[in-house]
Parts: sequence; structure tokens; C-alpha cells
Amino acid sequence: MFGQQVMSGLATGSLYALTAVAVVVVFRNTRTINLAQGDFSMMGAFFALILLKQFGFNYYAALGLAVLGVILLGVLVERAVMRPIADSDWLTLFTATLGVYYILHGVAGWLWGRDTKAFPVTFDPTPVKLLGAIVSEGHLINMAWAAGIGLILYIFFRYTKQGIAMRAVTDDPETARLMGIPVRFIVMLTWAMAGFLAAFAGVLIAPIIFVGPQMMDEVLVKGYVAAVFGGLYSIPGAVIGSLMIGVAENLAGGYLGSQYKTATAFAMIVALLTLRPKGLFGIQHRREV
Amino acid sequence: MPSHLRCENVTVRFGGLVACNHVNLDVEEGRIVGLIGPNGAGKTTLFNVLSRFQDAQSGELYYRDQPISRRKPHEMISIGLARTFQNINLFREQSTLDNILIGAHRRMADPFGAMYSLPYARRRERENVQHATEIAELLNLSAELDTAAKNLPYGSQKRVELARALAAQPKIILLDEPVAGCNEDETAELRSIVKRINREFGITILLVEHDMSMVMSVCDYIYVINFGANLADGTPEQIRANPEVIRAYLGEAEELDS
Amino acid sequence: MTDATLGTHREAESARRRAVAALKQRFAQQDVALACLLFVVLIALPLAPGVQGWMASQATLVIVYVIAAQGVALLVGYTGLVTVGHGGFLAIGAYTAALLTKHFGVDMLIAILAGGVMSAIIGTLLGLIFLRLAGPFMAIGTLGFAFFIGTVVNNAKIFEGREGISLPPKNALFGHAIGDTGFYYVSVVCLALVTLFLWSLLRSSVGRALRALRDSERAAEGSGVNRWFYRTIAFAVSACITGIAGALSGLAIHFVSAEVYGDIWYSVDLLVAVVVGGSSMMMGPFIGGLFVVMVPFFFEQLVDFASILKGGVLIAVLLFAPAGIGEVLARPVRAMRARRLAAVGMPPERSLGKPMPVNR
Repeated sequence: MFGQQVMSGLATGSLYALTAVAVVVVFRNTRTINLAQGDFSMMGAFFALILLKQFGFNYYAALGLAVLGVILLGVLVERAVMRPIADSDWLTLFTATLGVYYILHGVAGWLWGRDTKAFPVTFDPTPVKLLGAIVSEGHLINMAWAAGIGLILYIFFRYTKQGIAMRAVTDDPETARLMGIPVRFIVMLTWAMAGFLAAFAGVLIAPIIFVGPQMMDEVLVKGYVAAVFGGLYSIPGAVIGSLMIGVAENLAGGYLGSQYKTATAFAMIVALLTLRPKGLFGIQHRREV
Repeated sequence: MPSHLRCENVTVRFGGLVACNHVNLDVEEGRIVGLIGPNGAGKTTLFNVLSRFQDAQSGELYYRDQPISRRKPHEMISIGLARTFQNINLFREQSTLDNILIGAHRRMADPFGAMYSLPYARRRERENVQHATEIAELLNLSAELDTAAKNLPYGSQKRVELARALAAQPKIILLDEPVAGCNEDETAELRSIVKRINREFGITILLVEHDMSMVMSVCDYIYVINFGANLADGTPEQIRANPEVIRAYLGEAEELDS
Repeated sequence: MTDATLGTHREAESARRRAVAALKQRFAQQDVALACLLFVVLIALPLAPGVQGWMASQATLVIVYVIAAQGVALLVGYTGLVTVGHGGFLAIGAYTAALLTKHFGVDMLIAILAGGVMSAIIGTLLGLIFLRLAGPFMAIGTLGFAFFIGTVVNNAKIFEGREGISLPPKNALFGHAIGDTGFYYVSVVCLALVTLFLWSLLRSSVGRALRALRDSERAAEGSGVNRWFYRTIAFAVSACITGIAGALSGLAIHFVSAEVYGDIWYSVDLLVAVVVGGSSMMMGPFIGGLFVVMVPFFFEQLVDFASILKGGVLIAVLLFAPAGIGEVLARPVRAMRARRLAAVGMPPERSLGKPMPVNR
């Protein structure tokens, strides 16, 4: 029982991680707290839903097209909303993403209705034995996807020209600009990456939590809590935070009752910020002297 | 004269870099003491340590022989130490008068009385406004009292920094490059203001400066820092003639000539 | 300059300063008169022809919202600390007032005050925890706080969850029962008192200290301003004001339930109100409050459209009027006053249209 809770916690945690990593990447490259990240996922889930249900595409085609769609959405948001205010203070940037959040909520509700819909591809509960615990096959598949995406990101940042350029922009945008790195392009790439991650998060989680305009609200907040574990800066920190939240909330739900599931994440964040304002792995984020 | 501000054996490290290396400095009461040294020698770091904006890894600080190494930055004003900042740190959106009034913060009434604008708080506020106006007059800022700080010419901004420090009625002021970026007229004006503050009001002054003519003409005593460590100290004549000081400055020859 | 010319120069200087000061005083009086006029309008509103009882109730909610927004504006606009969790204080105020009224039958005033005090206490504690954090982290932390309050309110027995606490249909003030219109007047009085208090606070040394901390923390500390102390005061006062608003809101509709007060989006709405309206004391919260309350009211049937509109206006404001709509509306007046001051010899002042400076 315990093992099962932990495993399924790791699985949901790895999906949270997709959101958390996107949040970290956007924040450390652009100082923007992207409140619309969850809604990007939501749109991805809806795209896939439509393609599967109305147009009868197969799963992988629908997934691929949904990913493309959300990438475009991310780029659109960057150009139309974020670029004009790129030099503003973080509150302006943050509130702008809030505006995008409201718009996407409204658009989704208007186009597809505010009720929750079941996702055509259902979660596979076939039990599989792994490391002495019993896990659903669906969880395993999700973890595999998340791991695969993690690998892609790793390769991207380590070995590709764009990835290395992005790391330079993260560390020191001014110097990067002076060195000839096209910072604006990197910013666009950042938002495209956020869209990429969001699409997977949305489509993979859709069978579990069903599809509706507000489906990702809770996941978004958990993603943020996880991102703060990494000081809003470290990807590994965000991943570990996500896994911890997934496991902790499952255990809390299992042993204390399901109404405590949501509260777990917040108890964790308050405890973390109180005890270690720097985040578990993060760099200096306290007020400087 | 008794010691007003003193640091003993202060060492400050940033990661692998040693910014201050066992530095000793003693400012006598009523004097104008200069702190000079080539760029990057650790002067501003030392300033930050002395005004408690930064912690030293080792060493002790004394204010009138009382240890102050544990004090918080905002407590320094209450013991009589004010400072200015190298890159002017004014409240850009506020007027000159408001900037100076902040300097007088500790002389305001308690926050709770102030919040409710109780009569005694209002009276104290009026007194402080009067006081601030006088300081502004002393520093030739009367015409610019209502101007937003960011709209002031550079020289005026430097003087507002100083006025703000004065508003607290300090016993000692730390001036961080008071004439940096100023032209000859502005420098001369600030020079005479600094002298006046010291002679007329008996305020001790410790200043960091690159402008040698200012330092040599104004200071009673000078400390030279190089690579974060004491190099020499003495009267302006002694420092001027000190071969090691001259050698340290060879790379910055123009400053010696000015 | 010779002594003679120096003397006349000084005299001219003095005269100029006096003229500028006199003009500024006139402007201040005009502002006060305008505020008084606004309150006169508010007081006269229920007496206007065609205005019915239920409108008083609706108007009360708008006023309550404005008060809540004023609390947020103090913290975000004047102190530079971003909070996305003030809805939590609405809840604390509402539930404190509701529980006291239901179980102890206290007078309305006591209930409202208690709501404010409770919020102030919890606000102080929150400040102690969260003020250590840099801007974005503190914002996330306050959001966590709002979520936490929402969870507590939904689940703890004493708060009766979604079924809510029902209160007597008429509130008691000094022993007399007052209806909706009476309550409207009470809320107007509260608005007046809060506005007066904020006006006093911001003009005092405390207000100056807060603005100084916002604009340059180092310089403020170098001048002796204790940042923890003053920011905690700002937090506590801000929480108290929003708590009072919460208490008023609960008493206004005689019902307090988790459906409303457990919803974190009210916190976000408060921030939206302050960003859209601007952070001035009255105009900003008024405009922002009106915006946030009226949009859902008019588009009750078209929730999605309301959402799109809200997002669109928010982005438009950030792109084109980052200091808020209130500031844009005030521009012609500011420009005219700047011209008149210049005519009397006053150099140009602060530029128009800067967004709220926030701590990094």
C-alpha cells in the first residue's frame, strides 16, 4: 500500500515536474512568473481532445499536433504580450501572464464549455510489478514520457548551440547580448519550450483529471511550489520538489484523508520558505543587505 | 583626540577573493580622514563594513571604543554615524525636501503617533521640515527643494546626498566619493562644504576619494589601501612623499598629477 | 554676486517659494474638496429617485471592495511589496465577525473591529514569515497563504464549510437593528475613516519611510529606517484594512461561506484591481474596485466573455497605461497644474505614467 502510494506519487510528481521545469526556465530567462503555464497545458489537452474525438486522429498524431499547437501558442503570447513589456518590472510581467490566464480560461470556456469532459484515451490501470510495489501501467507510461522529455532537455542544454546560448542568457543576459547571442530569439525559444512542456503535461494528465478550463489550476500551483524548491532557478531542484510533492500529497491523502491532499503542497511551501528562504537548492533569493 | 571610529584587523572575503586583508583604521574625533588607494583596492567594501552594510569575516569595529560589529545597518544612525553612497542613492521620485527629511527619520515622532497625525507628531514634523530647510540652505539647495531628485543636475544630487546625511545630526559622516564625476566648480563647492561641516559643526569625516587635490587639501590624515591591505598612513605631506604610495599609484599616474 | 544682488536674489527666491507653496496648498484643498464631494454623492445615493433597497446592498459590496483594494494598494503601491493572498484576510475578517455575531450576538461595530484586529495579528505573523523573501517569492508565499486559508475554511468544522454561517437578517448597531440602507451608510463611514487614516499615514514620517524603503532600501536603512519594523507595520495595517472589508462584506449579505471566502481568486482580483486602477489612495482602488466588481455583475450570463474582457483589459492597461487607469484619468489635471506651477516659477516635477516600483 505504502509502496503503491509512493510509486503513483512519483508518477504524478513527474507530470507536475513538466510544469515546474517550464516555470523555472521561463522565470530564470525572463524574470517572468508565468501564471498562464497551466492554461497552456489546458489548451494542449483540449487540442488533443478535439483531434481525437472530432477528427478521429490516432493518439500520437493528436499528441504531436497538440504539442505543435501549444508551442505556437507560447510563441504568440511571447510576441504579442510579453515582448512589448519585456523591460518592465516583474509585477508587470506577472500580471500580464495573469491576463493571458483569464483570456485562455474565457476562450476555452466559450469554445468548449466549462464542464469537465472525459478524455478519449483512458488511463491504463493494469497493475505491473516494479521494485516490489504494484504500479499502474498508466503511471509507468507517464513516468517514461517525463523521463524521455527530461533526457531531451538535458541534451538540449548540454549539446546544442541554442541550449548553450540559452544557458548564457540565463546567467548573464547583458554579456550574452554583447557576445552576439540573439537574446530575443532565445526568449522566443524559451516560451516555445514552455509550450512544449505544457502540451505534454496537459495531454498526459488529461486521462487522470479530465479536461476543463480550470483543470490545471491546482497543478499550476503545485508546479510553482515545486519550482520554489529549486529556488525558481534549478531544474533538478524543481524536479525533486515535484516528486516530493507528488509523494507527500499521496501519502497525506492515503493516511489523513483526501481533503488534505491539496493542503500538503502549501504546508510544504510555507515550511520551506520559513526554514530556508533560499529554497532547497536555489541561489540567493533573500533580500540583499 | 579620542578614537571616533576604529576597525581592527578587518578581513572581508567574497568567495575566493579577499577584498579586505587585516585592515586597521582609526578615525580621530573631529578630524577629516581620507581613505585612498588604487581602484579595486577594497575601499568601498571597507566603507560598507564600517557602516555595517556588510559583515567582515574577522576583525572588530569600534565606535567611540564601544564594539559595534553586531549592529544592524539602520542602527548606525542612532549612534551617530551617517553615510553617503558612491553611486548616488537618492529617492529619485521624491523631492529634495523629502529626501532630506528621510535623513531626519530618527528625529521624527514615534510611528504610531505619526500614523494618526497626532498633534505632537505634527509639531515634530514641522520642526524637522524647518531643520531640513536650513540644511538645504547651507548646501545651496534652497531653490531646488521641491524638485524631484531625478530632475536635479548631478552636482545638486551629490549635495542632496550630503544634506540627507546631515539631517540626522550625525557625529561622524562617511563620504563615499563625494566629488566623483563632478566638474571643477562642483568639486570646489563640495570641498568648502565638507570643510565647513567639520570646522563649524565639529562633525568627524571619513572620506573615500580618488580626486587627489580634494583629498590633499581637505584631509588632516590619510590612510592608503592597496590590494585590500594597509599600505601607509600619515599626514598629507607624509603620504605625498611616501615612495611606496607613489609606486602603488604608478599605474594611475594621472590622479597624482591632478 | 555683490551683497546687494545676493539680497534681492534671496528675496526673489523667498517670494517664489511662497507663491509655489500657496499654489500647492490650493491644489491640496481642491483634492480634499473633490474627495468630500465624492462622499456627498455616496451619501446622497440612496436618496436619489429610482434607487431601491437591493441597489444599496450592491453598492455596499462595491464600497467594501474598494476598502479591501485600499489595503492592497498600501502594501503593493506604497510599500512595493506584492501580495497575491489578501483574500485570506477577507476571509479572516468575515469569519471573525460572523462567529462573534452568531455565537455571542455582538454589536456590529465590535464584529467589524474584531475582524480588523484578528487580521492585523495574523498579518503581522505573516509578515514575520514572508518579509524575508524577495519579491516574487513573497508573492508566491502569500498565494500559498490564501490557499491555506481556503483549505482551512473549507474543512474546519467551526466554519461550516460550504453550508456557511447564516447571520440574523438585520445587523445590530448600538442595539438598534439596521437594514440594508443603514448598513450602506455604515460602510460609507468606514470607507471615509479608512481613507482618512491612509491619508494621514502616507503624509507622515511612516509613509515617507515606506516610500523610501520602496525606492531604495539601502539608502533608507542608511538613514535609520528599520526595514523589518516598517514593512511589518505596512503588512499589519494592510491586513487590518482588508480584514475590516471582509467583516463588512460578510455582515452585508448576512452569510459567510467557504464558497466565497475559500476562493483564492478574490486575492488575485484584489491585485488586479490595484494594477488596473493604479495605486493612488482613492482613485485607484475605486476604479479598480469598480472594474473587478462590475465586470462579473454585468456579464453574469457570459462568464467566459467576462473572463476574456478582464484579461484583455488587464493586458491593455499594462501595455498602454502601466501606472493604472486612475493615473491616466488624472493626467490632464496634473498637466494643467504643472503648467500653473511652472508659471509661478516651479521647476518641472516627476514625470507622468510610471508604473508602481516594486522590490526586486
